[in-house]
Amino acid sequence: MTPLMLSFLALVCITCGSALVMLWTKNILHAALAMFMTMLGLAGLYVLAYADVMAVSHLMIYVGGVLILILFGIMLTNQNSRGDKDQNNLVTEESSRVVPMLIGLAIFAGLVFILARGNFGGIEIADPNSKLSFVGVSLLTEYAMPFELVGIYLLIALIGSTYIAKHDE
Amino acid sequence: MMNNEIPLLLFLWAAACLFAIGFSMLILKRNAIFVLMGIELMLNAANLNLIAFSRQDTTNQGLLLGIFVLVVGVCEMAVALALVIQAYRQFQHIDLGRFKSRN
Repeated sequence: MTPLMLSFLALVCITCGSALVMLWTKNILHAALAMFMTMLGLAGLYVLAYADVMAVSHLMIYVGGVLILILFGIMLTNQNSRGDKDQNNLVTEESSRVVPMLIGLAIFAGLVFILARGNFGGIEIADPNSKLSFVGVSLLTEYAMPFELVGIYLLIALIGSTYIAKHDE
Repeated sequence: MMNNEIPLLLFLWAAACLFAIGFSMLILKRNAIFVLMGIELMLNAANLNLIAFSRQDTTNQGLLLGIFVLVVGVCEMAVALALVIQAYRQFQHIDLGRFKSRN
């Protein structure tokens, strides 16, 4: 049991445990907190997969951006679906728990079964060093066109979402 | 040195676990924001697969595709939350089981 493996197991426990908390809880604010822990664990997993650039950008975008968006969404809407507008108790409705969890378990078992049949060969790590300069150079040379396109896509999505969320009477 | 590395299969198992949890959130919850969180989990599971395979690739194409997937995920989240807020204005709730079209 190497230290690398131990840290991997700890990060997987954080990630999947927080995801299970997200699945189990009914309080939407607790789910947002668990999503924060999930994203932290995922960033750690990216570091262990030698993708440090991806880990840092994942932390910045998900913890700094998407989670804040979700918190704004929670605050701007009322989770109480009974039409009681006086208080927002943050506890949400859900369907029966047994069948969706069985379906999820079946999907997990099926994926593990398929992965066990596959042959992925040995581990030949291509480059265990930092990928920062590689990502910077290839985003501006080989992948310059998709990079610009994704920038335009982001602009369109942001303008569109502000237009959709506009309060028009 | 190389024997100490984490096997690829463990990364794939973790991603499969995340995907299954995300999918069961998608069909279990009735709150729209919860459903969006489930979609995010599934997207991140796919991204973890890309990064894990990119570890053994000399050209690192999975890493670059993962960065673009990240941007697309953020766009999806922004538009979807705007839609949720607009639906809340229309119906005064965001319970997906109670949405009905007015005809």
